[in-house]
Amino acid sequence: MGKKKFTMEKRHNLTGWVFLSFGVILICWTSFYPMIQAFILSLQSGLGVNLKFGGFSNYARILKDPTFKGTLFNTFFYLIIQVPIMLTLALILASILNNKDLKFKGLWRTCIFLPCATSLVSYSMIFRSLFANDGLINTFLRNLGMNPVMWFANAWTARFVIILALIWRWTGYNMVFYLSGLQNIDYSVYEAARIDGANARQTLFKITIPLLKPTILLTTITSTNGTLQLFDESLNLTNGGPGKSTMTMSHYIYNTSFVQSPNFGYAAAMSIVILVMVAILAILQMKVGDER
Amino acid sequence: MNFKKVLACVLAGTMVFSMGAVMTAGAASEEDNKLTVWTWDPNFNIYAINKAAEIYAQDHEGFTVEVTEIQSDDIESKITTAVNAGDLSTLPDIFLMQDNSFQKYTTFYPDVFTDLTESGIDFSQFSEAKVAYSTLEGVNYGVPFDNGAVVNCVRTDLLEQAGFTVDDFTDITWSDYMEKAKVVLEKTGLPLLTAQAGSPDMIMMMLQSCGASLFNEDGTGNIAGNEVLKQCVNNYAQMVADGTLVEVTDWDQYISSLNSSTVVSTFNGCWIMASIQAAEDQSGKWAITNMPRLDDVENASNYSNNGGSSWAICSNCQHVDLAVDFLNSTFAGSTALYDDVISKGALATWAPAGESDAYNVPVDFYGGDTVYAKIVDFATKTPSNATGAFYYDARDAVGVALSNITQTGADVDAELEAAQETLDFSMGV
Repeated sequence: MGKKKFTMEKRHNLTGWVFLSFGVILICWTSFYPMIQAFILSLQSGLGVNLKFGGFSNYARILKDPTFKGTLFNTFFYLIIQVPIMLTLALILASILNNKDLKFKGLWRTCIFLPCATSLVSYSMIFRSLFANDGLINTFLRNLGMNPVMWFANAWTARFVIILALIWRWTGYNMVFYLSGLQNIDYSVYEAARIDGANARQTLFKITIPLLKPTILLTTITSTNGTLQLFDESLNLTNGGPGKSTMTMSHYIYNTSFVQSPNFGYAAAMSIVILVMVAILAILQMKVGDER
Repeated sequence: MNFKKVLACVLAGTMVFSMGAVMTAGAASEEDNKLTVWTWDPNFNIYAINKAAEIYAQDHEGFTVEVTEIQSDDIESKITTAVNAGDLSTLPDIFLMQDNSFQKYTTFYPDVFTDLTESGIDFSQFSEAKVAYSTLEGVNYGVPFDNGAVVNCVRTDLLEQAGFTVDDFTDITWSDYMEKAKVVLEKTGLPLLTAQAGSPDMIMMMLQSCGASLFNEDGTGNIAGNEVLKQCVNNYAQMVADGTLVEVTDWDQYISSLNSSTVVSTFNGCWIMASIQAAEDQSGKWAITNMPRLDDVENASNYSNNGGSSWAICSNCQHVDLAVDFLNSTFAGSTALYDDVISKGALATWAPAGESDAYNVPVDFYGGDTVYAKIVDFATKTPSNATGAFYYDARDAVGVALSNITQTGADVDAELEAAQETLDFSMGV
């Protein structure tokens, strides 16, 4: 009788929790615990090891920091311009590659996905040399009889190069998500639509996008999240320059900790602010994306 | 009862600890004779430390150094990370640090350094200005190494095309220099200078050439309304506007401009000579002279300093005596070492080395000139200036101002005002 107390259902539940527990412990230990520590650190002010409790003074400092506002603008500029372009491109490419009659499908897919296999630092450096004053792009422009552009000397052209690099690097990555989403849509749905006389535009807006909605939501959230934490490109491609006009928030946080006089409390406060922004944007997107 | 327990634990602990000590002492005689070192540049610092180890090993059998090549800013990030993690065991026994970073790290992370004041190293044999970089509140934290005396390296063959000789660029003023730069551009089609965009190196050299800096004597920032700084920035911006100074994207392009004959001259710390000499086909075409001096500024000179570094012993070092003795008998006590590393452009700041014959050897690359003696002479004439823990914050702020001025034509006064605000913001924690 005693054994009966442990019903099948309970046992299943318990097994489930045991499996989950490892992941939960790992996440708590490697992710949540540092977050709490970062929050505690953000309440301390001072330089180097001379830290003392300062309450919310670091958060008040953020409001008075013109550099932080500048980097906030840059980051949101990248986000607003780059993410929609990239996701649209990814969707278009995915639809093309999903075509049943396309030849060398594997080759095209590999080609488009390949940029994702390059390291962030190396592709940033390659883009830097491509757009250098005497780089490949300017050589092309000269040969076409146009004036070379000093890409990194002007804030807007430098931002343009960063956005271009981001699109090159990440479009393939997002395309793979769409491609797998598309393959879950039964081909017969399209056939039925075609029999009913739907054109390409209609199939895209009436079938593909609605059925892909969960995937689109996922890629939007991960891209937003990734862009807000953008660091490698800012550091390696432009080094934030000219001046600080292409610097991202994460790059500024890094500089505050490691390049300028080390102010870890302030750096932690800024990263907490980014965390809050990411969370708010993700909640908004989920509200917009979820129509149930 | 409780007291006994505690005592037992302490005793047991001591036994374990001493056993461990005996075991490590027995097993690691080789380890005891080895020092780990972090430094950068294989042609320069790494070469020098290996040479020093070779010299030291002649009297100390079995002595070796294990050198890891790490860029200077990465060494600094690693130190910052280690201190904040509270674990210095990842750091090496000895590391090299830029002179300009020394104040920052000794101020914010004093626990990383070993106090060398009473170590037996005779600091009076080094030039005073150099020792000052690694001294904080009277405590010595570093053994001075190379000198960053500014040299103006010019291509004599290209100057000739413009009708000039190296003498036309010696002991001159900036206004004279900028006029001649225009002639050079007109005759050769080449700029006189190249510079890394956004890097205020040149401004810092110009400032120090008149003993000025971005700081007041009391350590507060001196950017807004600093007339000397304003003149430096104006000169720089004017040359960019004239086309006689071309800004390049990064350091590599700056070096390649020197090696590919697309620029007529450069002035920088004398360590730049190692990079210039890399283009062996240009041997005999280069000459060395001093930099221009600012017009109508009190104490203006033709001499300045950029870079240079000092060795530090980490507080985590397990063989402090060995490390001190090693540095004391090489970088602070071996003319043989300095005679050897001079070929790499590593110029001693240790006085006895300067008297050596090696400094009077003519160098074919620079047209048979005795360039090393010349640089020693430049170094002794270099004015010193006020720096401090916030050197890089100030430098960064001026760099941003400089980009805005040269690239968008922003107002100099307003930009310097903004730079001052940025610096004050960093300092006002």
